Amino acid sequence: MIEVENLVKRYGEFTAVKGITFSAQSGKVTGFLGPNGAGKTTTMRMLTGFMPPSDGKATVAGFNVFEHSLEVRRRVGYLPENVPLYRDMTARAYLAYIGEIRGVKNPRQRADAVLDRVGLLDRADSQIRTLSKGMKQRVGLAQALIHNPPVLILDEPTIGLDPRQVVELRQLVSDLGREHTVLFSTHILSEAEQVCDKVVIINSGQIIAQGAPQTLRAELSRGGRVLVRAEAPPDQVRALIAGLRSVNIAEVGMDGVIATPADAQVDASPYIAQAILEKGWNLIELRPLAVNLEDIFLELTRQQETSAETPLMEASS
Amino acid sequence: MTDTITNAPAHSTPEQHVEMGAAFPFWTVFKREFTGYFRSPIAYGIAFALLLILGVVFNGYITSGVAAGSAPADSTVVPGLLTFLMVFFAPLLTMRLIAEEAREGTLEVLMTLPMGEGQFVIGKFLAAWAYYTVILLLTIVYHIILTTLGVPDLGAAFGAYLGAWLLGGAVLAVSMIWSAVAEEQIVAAFLGVATVLVLYLAELAASWVAGQGSLAGAADFVRELGMQAHYDYTMARGIIRPEDILYFLFLIIAALFITTRLIEIRRWRA
Repeated sequence: MIEVENLVKRYGEFTAVKGITFSAQSGKVTGFLGPNGAGKTTTMRMLTGFMPPSDGKATVAGFNVFEHSLEVRRRVGYLPENVPLYRDMTARAYLAYIGEIRGVKNPRQRADAVLDRVGLLDRADSQIRTLSKGMKQRVGLAQALIHNPPVLILDEPTIGLDPRQVVELRQLVSDLGREHTVLFSTHILSEAEQVCDKVVIINSGQIIAQGAPQTLRAELSRGGRVLVRAEAPPDQVRALIAGLRSVNIAEVGMDGVIATPADAQVDASPYIAQAILEKGWNLIELRPLAVNLEDIFLELTRQQETSAETPLMEASS
Repeated sequence: MTDTITNAPAHSTPEQHVEMGAAFPFWTVFKREFTGYFRSPIAYGIAFALLLILGVVFNGYITSGVAAGSAPADSTVVPGLLTFLMVFFAPLLTMRLIAEEAREGTLEVLMTLPMGEGQFVIGKFLAAWAYYTVILLLTIVYHIILTTLGVPDLGAAFGAYLGAWLLGGAVLAVSMIWSAVAEEQIVAAFLGVATVLVLYLAELAASWVAGQGSLAGAADFVRELGMQAHYDYTMARGIIRPEDILYFLFLIIAALFITTRLIEIRRWRA
């Protein structure tokens, strides 16, 4: 498992990671979600012992990444973002090489075992340079698995893959999540929603939300907005709904009329349905407005930007 | 009273088997890197160029010298020339050792393995030195040819080869430093040649210092810093002095230490 407390990384004047706190449980896939340049790779590099934090604390598999870097490195499998491999080696020779440094017994046998795990045993003797992008990604993943580590840290493992390879790799990551602690970064929101038990959203070096994807969605759909479609001109539907006491705002959207309730805790749907039926219109659709991770993400980053801009404008005026 | 095991995890979950890491990871790094030289066309090219130049010079030395009776059969000529050529060829053998791994990102994987930077640097260096040793051993052919033409001094030959081996190691270690600094391999090679040339030509600087009146006393010191003082006048003539051996060993160890620290610094700033 991974526990991160107020972790900071500074590069001179620039602070890439600004005191983040989160945890990743064993037997779960934790998604590390954020746009490019949010600080995902920097955080992962600190967790793998590749570089030391400037401040704060991180514990991986029970060991402090700074004080017991060696212990951490023994227990972590890491796939860096651009999947660095030795192109002039065969897949098996490369994995045996990493396995031997890691002190794995029978490195070549173990290499075959992990190649089998990622479905690439038939290409064990191929030079890495001849493998497709997806296959290279799987060799990289096999490298992270060679010593059967309790913790797996995967930096954007699905980047640059074709759709079929993406589906396969996501399935593999999900499976691995049952036996290992998996921390997996992505900037693709739907991916995090599909694969992860927990999502940590990071932007500009700060965590802006974390929790199960469903919980995050529920939290943001608290507003209780509903979509209404009736067999009547949208303007008239809007006027009717806007007149209801339980509705605060009604606007015409792309798919129908979107109603925001007056009280977020009170579902306006029954009142809307009643009003439309009383009018003698046919009600086609009435449902809570779906909120996906994409909406949450855009909403949160927008909130963060506005709150960050305010002091800046004060300072410049 | 219970003993506290400082390294134990704070929480006591049953831990699965953990691999401790290789006892001597430098050996694993060495094996890959050394065999890598034999997979690399550039390394073959360097060996070919070195042996070609040595062969041409040796041929001239034999035909117009030894065979004509105007020069003695001297087995120190070839290793002596090799040490000079290494000023330019050593940086070509070491330029990619670290720069390539840093550029490709494979260094990031290695640095997250349970292996110290020092082990990595030693493995890399030994591979380059071993490859150079193979080239050096191939030149023993020239000594064998000379034995058919005359009676070369075996003691001088041994000293010259031992010296060429140590000097080669020092030159490789020093030029490898730049591979840990430069982003581009060619820059590493260029800076390597410059650095090694300074070490090699300290002799010239010493003569200049000797002519500076008040500074003349420092001339010997400057001369001793250079490689020629520890090879050309001693080992190349079969004189094996402990201080010369220590000089080259010290250069190797100091250079490996600097390279290791540079990789550490690189990591801190990564």
